[in-house]
Amino acid sequence: MVEREIAHRIFAKELNDSSSTIHSTIEEAINSEGHTPNYLLTPVGTMVNRVFIVGVITEVDNVGTDTDTWKARVVDPSGAFTVYAGQYQPQAAIFLSSVETPAFVSVVGKVRVYKPDAGSPIISLRPEEIHLADEAMRNCWVIDTAELTLDRIDAFSKMLSLCENDPDSFNCTENMEIPSNLSEGICLAIDNYGTGADYLNELRSVVKRCIISIDLASSADGDKDLDVVVMELLEELDEGKGVEYMDLLSVANSRNINEKAVDSAVRSLLAKGQCYEPKIGIIRPIS
Amino acid sequence: MDKKFAPHIEELTKALGNISRSTIEDELELLLKYRVPIDEAKRSILKKFQNDSPILKKVHELAIGDKGIALEVRILNINEKNVNLRGNSVTIFSGALADESGLCSFTSWKPISLNPGDAVRVRNASVRAWHNRAEVSIGDRSEVELLEETYLPDISELSVTPVKKLGEVGYSDMFISSVAAVIELYHRDVNVKGKDLTIIEGVMADETSRLPFVSWSLLDGVDIGTIVRFEDASVSMYRGVPSIHLNESTSVHIVGPEEHLPFTFASVNLPPKPLPIGDVLQNEGMFDVSVQGNIVSVRPGSGVIARCPECNRVIMKNTCRSHGVVEGIQDMRIKLILDDGTGSLLVMLNRELSEIVYGKTLQESESLMGKEMSANVVYDDMKNILTGHYLGVRGNTSKVEYGVTFVAKSVWVPSEDLDMRVSALLERLEGVE
Repeated sequence: MVEREIAHRIFAKELNDSSSTIHSTIEEAINSEGHTPNYLLTPVGTMVNRVFIVGVITEVDNVGTDTDTWKARVVDPSGAFTVYAGQYQPQAAIFLSSVETPAFVSVVGKVRVYKPDAGSPIISLRPEEIHLADEAMRNCWVIDTAELTLDRIDAFSKMLSLCENDPDSFNCTENMEIPSNLSEGICLAIDNYGTGADYLNELRSVVKRCIISIDLASSADGDKDLDVVVMELLEELDEGKGVEYMDLLSVANSRNINEKAVDSAVRSLLAKGQCYEPKIGIIRPIS
Repeated sequence: MDKKFAPHIEELTKALGNISRSTIEDELELLLKYRVPIDEAKRSILKKFQNDSPILKKVHELAIGDKGIALEVRILNINEKNVNLRGNSVTIFSGALADESGLCSFTSWKPISLNPGDAVRVRNASVRAWHNRAEVSIGDRSEVELLEETYLPDISELSVTPVKKLGEVGYSDMFISSVAAVIELYHRDVNVKGKDLTIIEGVMADETSRLPFVSWSLLDGVDIGTIVRFEDASVSMYRGVPSIHLNESTSVHIVGPEEHLPFTFASVNLPPKPLPIGDVLQNEGMFDVSVQGNIVSVRPGSGVIARCPECNRVIMKNTCRSHGVVEGIQDMRIKLILDDGTGSLLVMLNRELSEIVYGKTLQESESLMGKEMSANVVYDDMKNILTGHYLGVRGNTSKVEYGVTFVAKSVWVPSEDLDMRVSALLERLEGVE
């Protein structure tokens, strides 16, 4: 029986930091009844074939030459996923051709890795499903993804600390309560990326930023007011093409809002998907 | 042998594990001498030897469909039987075998001379379904070898009815003893061999699981809320879900409040807590569990369907597979894949639940089809409305040929306290910049 690939919850940061792929071995090909998926190995040892993401779609371009191929950016609080849909994803292509950016979307897709001759690999998603979503769904997704990512990071650091004195990391994975597919991935990640405590900490702080960015408590107390004020300010100043960040700062300053507060409010609005940055230095509200 | 075949031999030795390199070399050489192309030769060698490297399994690990496995077990009992096999009268042997992990029935299709109590190693056996449970099948190609008497625990030890938690009951249990609270109970009138009987059906639970039960006698003083201790209850399986049968030979005692148990009626009578889907997939079948996740796909076959009025099967173009052209009955269902990042599960929703989840009734869907003149329009609409969304489901899982299926009894939109999860996460991340 062939098991369906899990739709991994993964932040753009972790996915985009990946470069190693795992192709099935001959042995697996023989034993798998023709089902031989390829995986992208992330630095935290997740072997990804399919993902589920919820984010804000900010850009859509038609990049096809002969046929219509659509390229889109879907943004989560840690970065952006690149999504390609062409003639073999007709429903996704139709969706992208007509979607109005920005909007919340959910994507179920397969991970694609393109390795140009020179330079770093390009990671993209080929959507199986892409549909409109809402802010509540996105917030819930961020929390799910944060929990699952932290679980993986914790398993990784547990293995790192236990295997410290063991040069052959494969030997020490037994008798540890880490699922075999994860421990296998972690060993591969150590071999391929040399992932160490530094990267894990970096990713932990990304996860933390992601959670704080959607901090639900803030929408209930004082911070909310500032977000709302800045949002109203943005809407007031926006004439369709977005607002220069410097203009926003000076207007805010004139209304007794300090630079730091504006900065954090803008970041929180960006993360909540209530505004976006079409160009660096330009903030555009999403209404 | 030619050096250029070395990588192929390497690959074959790796794939075949315990077959020696020289055997493989000889086989390959022979086939190449006959001018068999290298790929074909590799294929046939793999096929020839793969069954000879059996996996040693414990009884409780047996799964229906296993092939080429090895077991080290003690024969508990064995009977000779004459059966009619395709017109020939054949002598077969059947009985029960056990190791320290469990007990299982077996059938040998070839003559074997074994006695109760013998310790044996069985190689190249297969496991098939018999009365919905695993049965070891010893065929022409199986080997049975006597082991030393002291190799396994004594027969008296292996044939004791095990005391188990409900969550541990599985394919290898024919009889169990346990203690559990009755959380559902109803009487049912049945007709068994011309006799009218009243039996009791219900659900019992301990801190590990809930299971359905049937009692063939009216249990005096037992009602919802009663905690019972029972010994030698038989276990039957249906699609991987065990049920407990209390019959004349089962002793049942009511447990009083003075006894200290790890659970109470109140603690086990709560709705089941959602489990990670990955955990649910580890089990063959589970009774009354709940999971939640995102709908990552709505499968073909969802939407408005027609059923045969005779057998209830789904029909296409008014034609039933066994009843020919019939007047179909319209119905609606949704088959969806629920995924929570730990696993993905096929969930089946009946008409009532489909209407709740989809937000349109069967009639509304039919009128949608009428407007668009296409049956696919409902399926496409469902995909648009549902894909990506969060859903919680409660029901039973069962393992069928193509994986684990979840048949839902109730559905909801998870409305979790995100604030609490956020604070828990921030606590985990304390000290992180």
